[in-house]
Amino acid sequence: MNPSHHHHDCHCCISRRDCLKFLSMSALGAGMVGPALSAVAKEKSRYANPDYVDVGKLLPHPEVRMMAAIFEKPRPYWLGWPGTTYDLDARQKEYKAKLADSSRRLCIKTDLAPNPINDEAGVGAFIEKIKATKPHGVLVILQSIFCWPWLARVTKETGVPLIVFAPVGVAFTGHVLRLSREPGVYVASTLEWSAAEDGMRMLRAKRMFEETRVLWIRRNERNETVMERLGAKVRAIPRDTFNLSFDKQEVSTEVRDIASDMRRHAKRIIEPNHKDCLNSARAYVTAKRLMANEQANALSMDCLGMVSAKLMPTPPCMSWAMLMDQGITAGCEADLFGAFSLMMTSYLLNRPGFMNDPVPETAKNLLIVAHCTSGTKIRGFDKTAAPYILRNHSESALGVSVQVLWPVGNPVTLVRFSNANEMIIDTGKVVSNVQTPPAGGCRTSVEVAMDNIEDCRDVKGFHQVVTLGNHRRVLEAFCQLYDIKVVRSPEHRPEPEAKKA
Amino acid sequence: MNARQETIGRPQIPNLKLRKRFKQQTLSGHSSRQSWCLNIGAWCFLGVWSLGLGASAFAANGISFTSPGFPPSQMDADSRLVEDWGAVGVKLSGEGVADAAPTVSTVKFDGVVPAAQAVSQRGAVTLKLTAFRAPAYPAGVDVFTVRVEEKQGRAANVTVALELPAKVYAGLRTVRLGGRAVLTLPPREESGEKLRDWGYCDEASSLRGWAKPAGPCDPAFRNIRAGMGGVPIIYRFSVRPKSEANVVLGFCESHWAEAGQRRLICKVEGAPSQEADPIAKWGRHKPGALLFKARDEDGDGRLDITVRGASDARDKNPILNAIWIFPAGPPPNPGQIIAGKLNAAAKRYVDVGGENDQSLYPGGKLEYRIALPARGAQELTFFAACHGGSAPMPDVSAWTSETLRRAAREVWRDWKER
Repeated sequence: MNPSHHHHDCHCCISRRDCLKFLSMSALGAGMVGPALSAVAKEKSRYANPDYVDVGKLLPHPEVRMMAAIFEKPRPYWLGWPGTTYDLDARQKEYKAKLADSSRRLCIKTDLAPNPINDEAGVGAFIEKIKATKPHGVLVILQSIFCWPWLARVTKETGVPLIVFAPVGVAFTGHVLRLSREPGVYVASTLEWSAAEDGMRMLRAKRMFEETRVLWIRRNERNETVMERLGAKVRAIPRDTFNLSFDKQEVSTEVRDIASDMRRHAKRIIEPNHKDCLNSARAYVTAKRLMANEQANALSMDCLGMVSAKLMPTPPCMSWAMLMDQGITAGCEADLFGAFSLMMTSYLLNRPGFMNDPVPETAKNLLIVAHCTSGTKIRGFDKTAAPYILRNHSESALGVSVQVLWPVGNPVTLVRFSNANEMIIDTGKVVSNVQTPPAGGCRTSVEVAMDNIEDCRDVKGFHQVVTLGNHRRVLEAFCQLYDIKVVRSPEHRPEPEAKKA
Repeated sequence: MNARQETIGRPQIPNLKLRKRFKQQTLSGHSSRQSWCLNIGAWCFLGVWSLGLGASAFAANGISFTSPGFPPSQMDADSRLVEDWGAVGVKLSGEGVADAAPTVSTVKFDGVVPAAQAVSQRGAVTLKLTAFRAPAYPAGVDVFTVRVEEKQGRAANVTVALELPAKVYAGLRTVRLGGRAVLTLPPREESGEKLRDWGYCDEASSLRGWAKPAGPCDPAFRNIRAGMGGVPIIYRFSVRPKSEANVVLGFCESHWAEAGQRRLICKVEGAPSQEADPIAKWGRHKPGALLFKARDEDGDGRLDITVRGASDARDKNPILNAIWIFPAGPPPNPGQIIAGKLNAAAKRYVDVGGENDQSLYPGGKLEYRIALPARGAQELTFFAACHGGSAPMPDVSAWTSETLRRAAREVWRDWKER
């Protein structure tokens, strides 16, 4: 931050350098590196290689600017919530400290109004400042039940995403209901500050989308477009770029270390041999280099086409798992919206997702979600990795893929961008990990009992991204904040479809 | 239209709402100019800058522009935007407007985005057209901006007319060629444009031969307009203010075989809404008719007819096969209407989606009437489909002029040819 532009009423700003330093240690930096990936965290000097690419630097580090204010009514309070006994000074001190802490941890530059705003003129001035500075979001801490009309003004007159923290005591159902379902608004009516922080994460996630360039590796075209609403850039490059780069990638010290870690941390190794693991590590390093060369932060590749044409000795399954464990979106089969769905879990929920082919298990009425790659840090980038087994790619019997063992009994969320304007969100619970054999299909294969879906055949979407935990409300709130339509699978089986003419 | 043509009739009253919606900027005197410069200073600066620095590439044969990796579009020497679906020209007429040839040149927006620009000094008014490719996924969108600016210190009423290929038809917010949206329009309701006496003004699609009516019936039951994507079907008919009429809507469902799939909410001005499930009411492939006692309720001399899909229906796409408007009085016999025996008695008979159907907006030309204050300026921005793509749908798309410009800037900033 330029010191000459630093506002003294801003309690929360940290410098860009501090922010990057912090990020590098945080969940989205090297700190997320898991046991399987410890080689990656080693310093560049370890390899004495000028081409070494630090994964942490591939992640987008957007600037996120947020304006904030406390709305209250002129003091002293008398009747009306939160009531005369409510200690405004104590509560405001507490929330300001929490806001500063969240801003620091999330690397959000927060400009908090120096004093609480308590009249129409103050609200007007606040609105004018928002219009002039165009922040990425606005957060209001509400301190009176009579301030709700001001919030409506802020959202209507600025159009800037609005996060409202309404601690218990400043709202009834009617207040919350009216505003909280408006597009561009997220209302946290709770005493839990973490819910307000979720809103701040949404701002950061959206900015990460906007600063992301996805490499779309397929066909033989080279161009670049921008995805509507999400703002992410999509750079298409010829598929051969990857396998030709792979061919040039030597078995370097870094490659050996990665292959060694990959094997060492596996719960079991079934098919792959050492050479397979070296090739998988070469694919990983190739992917990093390609992203760095193209100023990209994510990729999605026509991997099946590449395997089918026998252009590489291994599909990239394990390499993709390693990237996803570090927050880098690595999507399968050049499915662009699948990649954006993976990005959603990574950027907002701080954990990798698992893009899958859905299979209805009709005897038990379960959904089997299966693919040959899955992140292992499914509990969170900064949490312990799930156990994994090294397998080959089941469809081709080539190279290294991964069977990640998902924790039975845990809730999961299925998320899928149908397009940039619509997201499918469903939830369920892990029932078991399916073994191959006896099953065919993909190596990571998980049975899920779906919530509120009568018949597993009705689950919407393909290549949905499964992520550990029930995140429905946060994802729905994100969609509302950015005007993305939410769709869920039907609870009841639809009427029999009529024959078409 | 003659470029010197004066605005006919009384001067247009400045339409503040329209100006606001089109994000226009107004100049009126020195202080306003400063304000304007603050608001769109960057745009203006770049335009002037590009005229000075980027105008070396004056075009004899037009200027091509594109985004990385895509086939180019062109602004030709006559300042028309040339796309794979046809060309868009702009004609300016009105008070103080003179003939003048445009100067077409290359410019760069934001220092990196290649664009084409055509400037002509048209008497009291400067006309500036610009076009650049926004790299909107998947195929890009061309952003075409028309700017008119009064230069001599006298308020002026001018008309900007868009010249379009003959085969396109214009809806409320888009121009279509077949099923392809080729141009996104600024809002048209308040453009002052001369409309036809009747026609559709929606984003629905015409589908000829879609329905398979069983048995003898009016041929209109074979064709439909369909609100694909759940958009409503909307018709407007000029009528005597406050007058009454018998309106009949005809339907024939040939997609679904069972009831409950597609339910239609039909609203005719002045009459209670009616909900109809064509399968439940008449059966598959069976023509049916709904009668409405209509009245120009708001006295605007226009009768509005809207058919929507029920929001909780499985199939939310509305359909409509035919419209009859009969004089007020005893209701006509539905059986005879369905049989096509009362067409001659109808004041209007519309084969919806068929041969005699039409847009409310005259084809081939779109007009925007603009009241320019002294030294004022106004912009109209259109999004054009470029090679292999479609224009964004206004009700669905999140793209705006601002985000499209940013997309172009960010892509060109980091692009390197390899």
